[in-house]
Amino acid sequence: MDFAWLLQSLLNGLSIGSVYAVFALGYTLVFSILGIINFAHGAVFTLGAYLTYALAVGRFGINGLLADVTMPVTLPFVPALLVGAVLSGLAGMAVERLAFKPLRQRGADPLLALVSSLGVALIVVNLIQYLVGAEIYSFPADIFGDLPMAVIFQIGGKPVAVRTIQIILFGASLVMLAGLGWFIGRTRGGKALRATAENADTASLLGISVNRFILGTFFISGLLGGLAGTLIGVSFGVAGPYFGVSYGLKGLAVIVLGGLGSIPGAVLGGLVIGLGEAFLPSDMSSYKEAVAFVLLFAILLVRPQGLLGGRLEQKV
Amino acid sequence: MSGFFENYGFLIVTIVQQALLGLSIYFPLMAGQLSLASIGFYSLGGYVAAVMGTHPALAPLREALGFWMFPLEWLGALVLSVILGIAVGYPALRLRGIYLALATVAFVQVVNVAVLNMPIAGGAVGIFGIPQAFESRLDYIWFFGPLFLLALFLVWRIGNMGRGLAFFAVREDELAAGAMGVAVTGNKVTAFVLGCALAGVTGAMSAPFLNTWNARQGTFDASVTCLAYVLIGGSRSIWGPLCGAALLVSLPELLRPLKDSRMILNGIVLVAACVYLPQGIMGGLAALRARLSGRGGAA
Repeated sequence: MDFAWLLQSLLNGLSIGSVYAVFALGYTLVFSILGIINFAHGAVFTLGAYLTYALAVGRFGINGLLADVTMPVTLPFVPALLVGAVLSGLAGMAVERLAFKPLRQRGADPLLALVSSLGVALIVVNLIQYLVGAEIYSFPADIFGDLPMAVIFQIGGKPVAVRTIQIILFGASLVMLAGLGWFIGRTRGGKALRATAENADTASLLGISVNRFILGTFFISGLLGGLAGTLIGVSFGVAGPYFGVSYGLKGLAVIVLGGLGSIPGAVLGGLVIGLGEAFLPSDMSSYKEAVAFVLLFAILLVRPQGLLGGRLEQKV
Repeated sequence: MSGFFENYGFLIVTIVQQALLGLSIYFPLMAGQLSLASIGFYSLGGYVAAVMGTHPALAPLREALGFWMFPLEWLGALVLSVILGIAVGYPALRLRGIYLALATVAFVQVVNVAVLNMPIAGGAVGIFGIPQAFESRLDYIWFFGPLFLLALFLVWRIGNMGRGLAFFAVREDELAAGAMGVAVTGNKVTAFVLGCALAGVTGAMSAPFLNTWNARQGTFDASVTCLAYVLIGGSRSIWGPLCGAALLVSLPELLRPLKDSRMILNGIVLVAACVYLPQGIMGGLAALRARLSGRGGAA
């Protein structure tokens, strides 16, 4: 329990937690408008990682339909990240059109939307597997050019490693969060979005094209998901088409912890879970994957509306 | 006919086994609650049976009981499932909406991490060589069949008594049901725990059936599949889970020529069923029957 360990864990927790926050905000945006959890979000996360990999590295492995295919051009990392995220946003729009809109227009049971979005997730994940196989793809070490892998500080005689990727995770996440905050709080589009979230019928009467804003919300949600997928993929490798599933579920824990539908809640929830995982003693590290879900149970017991959620009102 | 059973017997037993998991989700749905926990209880029940069937410390008990060891394993799974079901269900079911679904997703993940880390559960390898109850796997229909009939009877019986009316009242409108004096949380927890118990016992029966048991029995994908049985079969008909299980279990067999791409088609079937058959197969059949008998186009 020395100071260096404390600092190292804090750093690890903040960097991974900020990516959880970005990812979970994708759930929150859709939930606040439709009151539905988009279970295809984890698949979009996976897709984002694969798209960026295809754009930046451009080589595929020996399995799947695209075995040994090389892309004619590759992009530097940052443009690849952005293009990958935009394409993921488009995938998010496709999810809305395929899994949500047809059901919404018929006024179907919301449970069905859950299953149809899971169906879309199944399609996306298996399509990836069909195309590029179940191999693990790692981004090359020189993806950030000449930047060093890590800078090591000596604190109290103990080393504290600041990995370049951690700075990038934290920085990119902060930029995304600030951009989203600005969009929602300061622009006309964001105002319309908030109005739609408050009451879609009233918003529609006030001349807001609700369906267009729902589609836009899915775009932003997919963008956030794809970006988070890339960041996690660069950090830990793209571990097969199913690697988004566990992050997808962890994201659910984040939004419940923070409070369903609350944007600051999703950020706080992400950071708390990231820090919780980082501060887990090393002899319990095999339980790391359970941290998020244990926290979810704990919050349901003591404060079911989540850390920053409003009171759970019952409207009649 | 005997050739038919040799070829398809295993498939039929599997359909009944999977339909049991579907029914375990049908119970909470009777009270309007979406649970994804069944696969977690199924996994735990299987581990109970696997440990009781193979642990060296229990060898004398197994010798003394013989075949009766199997019912004891079911009882063990049942007790564990009921206790855990209440522990998971109560906090989440005090709330309305999607919370049970989220809490049960979390439960399945925690179970998975826990069994991977418990030495008694054999870690990632799992437990091998679980003693068989029958020579032939087809004979396991004598396990699953009666349990399925019992569960169907329970569903039917509950639907026709006060408890069932309370479930349906909660499903249609919690607030109104509460105002009429129905114990909302209590009924939701009861419906959920019934499903947990059924899933746990099904797991305990499945461990000998499958001979090995490991953490892959309890993945998130599997719990989604169970939910799909009910929703595709029809969530308002007691035959829905069987119908959905029959379709989704045989679909990969029928699509075997497609090899790797068949899971993609499976996803397409899920989406298409939600969009075009919102009441499931049984609901679609009912609508068709109504139309054919000429009482107006309800669909």
